Amino acid sequence: MVDLDRFADQLAEIVAHGGAQAPRSICDACVVALPVSGASITIMASADRQEPLYATDAVAARLDDLQFGLGEGPCVDAFVDQRPVLVPDLAGTSDNRWPMFLHGARETSASAVFVFPLHVGTIAVGVLDLYHVHPGLLDADALAGALLCADALLWTLLGLRSGDEPDGNGWAKETDPHGWLRGAPLARTEVYQAIGMIIAQLDVDAETALARLRARAFATGRPIDQVARDVVERRLRFNEENK
Amino acid sequence: MSVDSAHHEQALAAAFVGLADTLVDDYDVIDMLHRLATECVHLLPVDAAGLLLSDQRGNLRVVSSSSEQARLVDLFQVEANEGPCLESFRTSRPVAVADLRTEIERWPRFAAQAEQEGFRGLHALPLRLRSDTIGALNLFRVEPGLLSPANGEIAQALADVATISILQERAVRKHEIVVEQLQAALNSRVVIEQAKGVLAERGRLDMGESFSALRRYARNHNQRLSDVARNVVDGHLDTAEMLGRSAGDGSASGVPRPGAGPTR
Repeated sequence: MVDLDRFADQLAEIVAHGGAQAPRSICDACVVALPVSGASITIMASADRQEPLYATDAVAARLDDLQFGLGEGPCVDAFVDQRPVLVPDLAGTSDNRWPMFLHGARETSASAVFVFPLHVGTIAVGVLDLYHVHPGLLDADALAGALLCADALLWTLLGLRSGDEPDGNGWAKETDPHGWLRGAPLARTEVYQAIGMIIAQLDVDAETALARLRARAFATGRPIDQVARDVVERRLRFNEENK
Repeated sequence: MSVDSAHHEQALAAAFVGLADTLVDDYDVIDMLHRLATECVHLLPVDAAGLLLSDQRGNLRVVSSSSEQARLVDLFQVEANEGPCLESFRTSRPVAVADLRTEIERWPRFAAQAEQEGFRGLHALPLRLRSDTIGALNLFRVEPGLLSPANGEIAQALADVATISILQERAVRKHEIVVEQLQAALNSRVVIEQAKGVLAERGRLDMGESFSALRRYARNHNQRLSDVARNVVDGHLDTAEMLGRSAGDGSASGVPRPGAGPTR
């Protein structure tokens, strides 16, 4: 049973407190309060430009990696369509929206996946991924809790606190208030660098280069991050013969 | 309940729902404010209505009017810097006048102008939410007289809906801008890493050297790093110059690879 009121209060407190750790705290609180086994947040500028921010455990991280590596999955759909995507039974679903993702996801301990876009107006900033080791839908209260969570995450990501009013100008002045994207290297740095190298190796555009990288990862059954590292460390080249 | 008042209640409810819809959907604030002005005339015993909003510096601007006469009177108020609307906005309180002829001393120029346009009775309400007053609603009557307390409340409720809608839309726009900035930040970082990869491959450089080459080029050409990076990735930039400069150590791999022309 979800105590929605208490959860809402808890989230409000985290948001009011703000700070760079707030998204983590929200994810952790989510897993405790809601009937889910794990959670992760990913910032996205587009379906193919993702930056994982936090995952509560390895399974959540794996589900995230799978979707990025394959370029398909509920994450991508939720971001592009700006609607929650709920998959209550990974094993039983006859869904053929993401055949490769489902195949990979079934090899993890996750049995259900629920993804919520984080968006303001018509602009999405990322997704909140929840999974559960048991299949089943989220009940109404859990769903409401997840939506509260997504809201709270949005506020913390934007560096806004509850009660914030538009300033004199009405516009925010700061980009990236907690430096999510400044300073520390991106988690997927090597993937993007590898894309650049493949662009030069094959004389193709970025989208094609990513597709080739993904195809190689899929064909060899390896995570895309690893294949990317091989490219960057020059153990693997793409050329007309082996592309 | 008489047929008339039942009809009136229905009209009132419909008006509120119509305005409240704007809180949920994607909508045009100006459109909503125009609708509000005409709704006031339908729902209240008034002959014209006007809405003014303040800009960042606290100056009022006429945003919508139910009639040309109302618009002229409101424009005049702003220009003359006197009148019930301005007073209402500045004090954040309603200002009601049964007959402008009695207020010649209070607002000499405004009273004369308003009567010239045919208005005698006036009721001005602030557009206000807690400590924020963002404008005022002006209601005009041809015949002298005050609004009843009940009608005064309806007018205040209409003003409140307008205020909340406007503030809500401003908040959403502010947040959208922050989100766009976050997206742009991620896009920048991604494209810079991609450009490093392109240079690393072409010039046989490590990522650190590639980054230096990008930065140097951006500085020398007075361009933003992310713009240079994007052009490198999109093939709009001949990287030979960038890589030529990196060959300063004289290593054999310093020769840039061909095929990087902008025609790609």
